[in-house]
Amino acid sequence: MDRMLYVAMTGAKQTMYAQAVNNHNLANANTHGFRESMAYAYTEPLRGPVYDSRDYVQVANEAIDFSTGAMQTTGRDLDVAIQGDGFLAVQAEDGTEGYTRAGDLHIDGQGIMRLGNGLAVLGDGGPIAIPPAESILIGTDGTITIRPLGGEASGVVAMERLRLVNPPTENLVRGVDGLFRQRDGTNAPADANVRVASGMLETSNVNTVEALTRMMELTRHYETQVKVMSTADNLGKSNNRLLGLS
Amino acid sequence: MNQALWIAKTGLDAQQTRMSVVSNNLANVNTTGHKKGRAVFEDLIYQTIRQPGAQVTQDAQLPSGLMLGVGVRTVATEKLFQQGSMVLTDNSLDVAIEGRGFFQILLPDGNLGYTRDGTFQLNSEGEVVMSNGYPLQPGLTVPDEALSIMVGEDGTVGVMLPDNPEPQILGQIQLADFINPAGLQPTGKNLFLETAASGAAQEAVPGTNGVGGLIQGMLETSNVNIAEELVNMIETQRSYEANSKALSTADSMIQFANNNLAR
Repeated sequence: MDRMLYVAMTGAKQTMYAQAVNNHNLANANTHGFRESMAYAYTEPLRGPVYDSRDYVQVANEAIDFSTGAMQTTGRDLDVAIQGDGFLAVQAEDGTEGYTRAGDLHIDGQGIMRLGNGLAVLGDGGPIAIPPAESILIGTDGTITIRPLGGEASGVVAMERLRLVNPPTENLVRGVDGLFRQRDGTNAPADANVRVASGMLETSNVNTVEALTRMMELTRHYETQVKVMSTADNLGKSNNRLLGLS
Repeated sequence: MNQALWIAKTGLDAQQTRMSVVSNNLANVNTTGHKKGRAVFEDLIYQTIRQPGAQVTQDAQLPSGLMLGVGVRTVATEKLFQQGSMVLTDNSLDVAIEGRGFFQILLPDGNLGYTRDGTFQLNSEGEVVMSNGYPLQPGLTVPDEALSIMVGEDGTVGVMLPDNPEPQILGQIQLADFINPAGLQPTGKNLFLETAASGAAQEAVPGTNGVGGLIQGMLETSNVNIAEELVNMIETQRSYEANSKALSTADSMIQFANNNLAR
């Protein structure tokens, strides 16, 4: 009896976690470059001395769906979207290198190129400094070209290149800051084949219809688990009534 | 409290903010020199419920952990400084900037404000002022008897006086440019203020040093694209609905447990 109750309880608890993961995806349906996480469950067997009946359930949400999101044209020169596979390297708050697909770039007051959330974007040699420029263009391979302030139309200057990487996605984990990093902690080598498109942003890859369907499914699972719990409770009650000394 | 509820709440918050930004853009679709805004979102921190890569035994690792994202937040409502389209007004005191740069306006507190709104007027003293009465910097005073006013591409302001075939130069309009205009702080009244993020204002004669030239008799309209904003509005509404659905679902799950497990 107690096993039944506890097994159902882990099911309900883990379903609630899965629902939280799913809600997190839904909440980020409009976050540029966001990659949805998938809540998979796996069994965690616990074998006792008697009948093998306890398979607890655990939610694993490490799995991240790396399929690409839709492209949105913004017309802003400093918005870049990565075409196909690959990531933009940025400097995380702790100074390490992290990877992201969000490409809303900015130039701050000191001329450092940053993401919308303030993290410095990395080039071949660290953070990129852009001198005062009339226009900034980003080529398909990430090369930054500027036209200096007051410069002639022909006087464009090629600057650094964005550090674009393409590590195998199965080696990537998401950190607490939402940036991706390699599982072993090393930095991925730059990849010359990654292509970017400027004037575009990649939306999140969350499929809202799918997420809403999963939400309903999880609710029903949850209800089933609760039902099992209340059944276990009823069984216990019957036991007490039948065997009780009254 | 239940995590799923609070995550859905952050989603609702974010969509609400985005809706405000979209509404503000739409409300200012006819505001001269208005620059549209955009809400930028970021996923909130991830909580480690179960550490991925932890050792299960001495030589086996947990293949996956449980990293629970706790929602979304708005990191910025940034201004987009693309050029708006130009409309011809033929009013001699309407001036548009073609390219980068801002007009400098003297605020009542003595600081400088910056604007792209070139709807200038004269006040009772003949000073060139914005529609709200704040004077242009460096100040220009047009004599009472002036017949016409000319603003050159380089900002030179001249007037024709009676009985004088030669135009008389009053002064020159200077523009200010910023390394990062998106870092300016919008204060309303079509004005922006300098911040640490925008960098210091660099004053320049119109048409030099990368700042744009001036065009008299034209105004720069807002750069809001109605179709784009309406699409954003639809998207925002649908995301809001999805998140509110998530909220009520999480609620009904708890409700179900309460109703069925309670004694």
